[in-house]
Amino acid sequence: MTIVVVMEQVPDVVEELVIAPSGTDLDRDAVSYVINEYDDHALEEALLLAEATGDEVVAVGIDTTGELDQALYTALAKGARRAIKVTGDFEGAWLSTRAAAQLLVPVIKELDPRLVLTGVQAPDDLDGQLAPTLSALLGWPHASVVISSEIADGVVRARKELWAGITMTLELELPAVLGVQAARQAPRYVPISRVRQVMREASIETREVEPVGDLAPSLMRLRFPAETSQAEMLTGNASEIADRLIELLRARGLL
Amino acid sequence: MLTTSERIAFVLIALASLLLTAHGVSRIVRAIARGQGRPTWGLFFRRVIPVSLDILLQRPIFRTRPLVSALHAGVFFAFVFYGLVNILDLAEGFTGFSTLHRGGIAALYNLIADLLSVAALVGMVGLLVRRFGLRPFRFNERVFLLPSVRFGISRDSAIVGGFILLHVGSRWVGQAVRIAESERADWSQPTASLVAALFHGWSEAALTTASHVTWWLALGLILAFLPYFPYSKHIHLFMAPLNLILREERPLGQLEPPTSSNGALGAERLEQLRWYQLLDGYACIMCNRCQDVCPAHGTGRALSPAALEINKRYYLNRNLGAFAGGATSPPLLEIATTKEAVWSCTTCAACVRICPVGNRPMLDLIDIRRALVNQGDPLDPNLQAALESLARYGNSFGKPARQRARWTKELPFPIKDARKEPVEYLWFVGDFASFDPRMQENTKIVAQLFHAAELDFGILYEDERNTGNDVRRVGEEGLFEMLVEQNLAALEKAQFRAIVTTDPHSYNALRNEYPAYGFQVPVYHYTELLADLLERGRLRVQQPLTAAVTYHDPCYLGRYNRITAAPRRILHALGLELREMPRHGENTYCCGAGGGRIWMDSGGQERPSEQRIREAVALGEDLRYFVVACPKDMAMYSDAVKTTGYEAQLTVIDVARLVAMAVGINGLERESISVTTEAP
Repeated sequence: MTIVVVMEQVPDVVEELVIAPSGTDLDRDAVSYVINEYDDHALEEALLLAEATGDEVVAVGIDTTGELDQALYTALAKGARRAIKVTGDFEGAWLSTRAAAQLLVPVIKELDPRLVLTGVQAPDDLDGQLAPTLSALLGWPHASVVISSEIADGVVRARKELWAGITMTLELELPAVLGVQAARQAPRYVPISRVRQVMREASIETREVEPVGDLAPSLMRLRFPAETSQAEMLTGNASEIADRLIELLRARGLL
Repeated sequence: MLTTSERIAFVLIALASLLLTAHGVSRIVRAIARGQGRPTWGLFFRRVIPVSLDILLQRPIFRTRPLVSALHAGVFFAFVFYGLVNILDLAEGFTGFSTLHRGGIAALYNLIADLLSVAALVGMVGLLVRRFGLRPFRFNERVFLLPSVRFGISRDSAIVGGFILLHVGSRWVGQAVRIAESERADWSQPTASLVAALFHGWSEAALTTASHVTWWLALGLILAFLPYFPYSKHIHLFMAPLNLILREERPLGQLEPPTSSNGALGAERLEQLRWYQLLDGYACIMCNRCQDVCPAHGTGRALSPAALEINKRYYLNRNLGAFAGGATSPPLLEIATTKEAVWSCTTCAACVRICPVGNRPMLDLIDIRRALVNQGDPLDPNLQAALESLARYGNSFGKPARQRARWTKELPFPIKDARKEPVEYLWFVGDFASFDPRMQENTKIVAQLFHAAELDFGILYEDERNTGNDVRRVGEEGLFEMLVEQNLAALEKAQFRAIVTTDPHSYNALRNEYPAYGFQVPVYHYTELLADLLERGRLRVQQPLTAAVTYHDPCYLGRYNRITAAPRRILHALGLELREMPRHGENTYCCGAGGGRIWMDSGGQERPSEQRIREAVALGEDLRYFVVACPKDMAMYSDAVKTTGYEAQLTVIDVARLVAMAVGINGLERESISVTTEAP
């Protein structure tokens, strides 16, 4: 059976981001892309599930960057059996989460999986809408902020994080959609030689789509967060530092 | 002379013994042949004479432990000469021919045999007393040993030692008996003549019996021992010379690409090791010298290079028929060593350098790493993060490549972009020197020194990548190749005469690893250049420094590439008093950072760098500077001097900073003056 992992590439924030002269986009020439961290965890969780059940993992993504192949080859090298990219006339667009979900649903239906995993959130989906939107469009049950999962007796048990260290375990009927916060273990390392071998030997399937409707929110202006006040380092001996701390707390009405 | 029935018995026993021995030897040869690759036999003819000379002079053994080596030399010389002695004794037994009481060459022969017999007996008793009395061969409790090894080492040593004592002793006493039979002392056998006094007054019949018994004990014993010989540590007699002679000509700093069997890279099992790595097991004499110099074992980690070799041999001997016949071995991590041991190797190569029989246990550890990395075995999280960063940004700091040359912006002069204009020296700065904030100050000083000496130099700016020296030693061959390709592409854009590196690890890769990828350019370490610039007066010492210092040789500079003089020439030129630590030069002790260890968690255990600081502190309380010439050393020892609590007493300093203080660069003159006044 099949487990689908939905993956997205996002700008690498380690690199310096530059806003394009238009003021409504990043300077795409200066941007490099990485896989969304949470999607990487979703892939790891999927691979762990598949190792236990013998399922087949299929990595699926929408190629908005023109570089998605790189991420999909890595997924194949890590152990995904197939990789599918959705292509169309939306390169360079910041797809809205809803539009992305609508583009993905036909591919997911075609694959007929018993489980869909994706990252709980992404830099362009900070409120974590992708997993619930997919679940609504597919009509399948859903859990988000998942930190471990297990398929047994025809259901998936997903442990999700609540607050203050409290977790709860949900039992969902299959098929289901999970938004993964963290895999049970850190995403695995894949040796470069394996990635290169996969690039020579494996191929990525393509699904060309004709997008309809509004794909992306219209941006008025993109800007960096305004710099707020700097941290102050307290120096001196212990009692001087303590005095200063008390003073600071008093000034804020906390003492 | 033997009786006819004795002669027939000897010939029959000899035949049986030789057949059994041949069976054992052939199984061992077939087992070793299951290793990957084949020896270059051409080397044999080229090397047999020089290596034999080395062995005859016992050079590899005398590298350390002089007293024990002298005892070994006694046994060794006796054994070599006993080749002739045994043949003549055999002839005597069968034909009655005798050298007794003869003059000329026969007397010389007897004298040598007599003296060497004593040397062998003294040597052997000394070695046995050491092994069984002093018990110096211990492994720390985390070292993995096969169950058969624990008891086996002592048993094997006892059998081999007992055999040598009995064999040489019987021959020696036998000569005494024959001298007693002849009723007069043989001046050419002084010690045997002394022993002959013991037999004074024995009847002729008793002496004849004693003569036969000692003959059988001397020569018959060989026949009894021979079938056991291939399985004993005594086989090092043949395997060690073979190992030294057939060792392929490759710089210590260059690894062979991983072996590949059915797409699996590296060595998961015995048969995936190379042939010489299997031979290593049989060449090992279990002297544990490698373990003594191993920084991992020295800090209580699970690694013992000796145990690795010993385990290999014991596994093979116990399963020789099956393995020689083609059976698959269990994983090396079940029979030879543990994962913890494999990952604690710093690839400092101390074990390789010290081994008297030419073994290279470090290569096994790297090959096991290669297999683990390739199988996707979980890595130390910090190591994984470093590798991912190296793959993505070309450095282990998780910083964008564009920031690599950011430190140059704080200099009062521009540094040439070697990609855009030709330079004489291309400075390959390296990751730590470029990105680590603690190291950037030193890097700027090196740049200022080069600038002050009017050196024509430039850098590759953001196109430089980590050379991959340690990536290769972690076992990530694919990433290493990728980094090589990226660096070669960048180097191709630049015009230069030679390379100068800050990091000894970069130095090693560019000097020893890159030539295999077609890159042949002179490579210098910055200490070589600075020494030269000082001696030629292009950097002038304004204010000699007078402090007492010690210098730490980096493994990849001192041991791997034998650059030990240049940094010392600098210290000399600056007027500093150099005090050597006991372990220096090629014999240096690792800081613990090599082979990718710098990216891994030290697990809260003592670090080799802390031991090293204590070694330096023992040189005297007035020792002011612990001088380093490697950015990784700067990182390791700056930490270690704090964790050991010697921060106030001893300052870890890069040799370039001392040069800058003495020649007066960038406001460092004042610091130099304070040094001169404070120093005793």
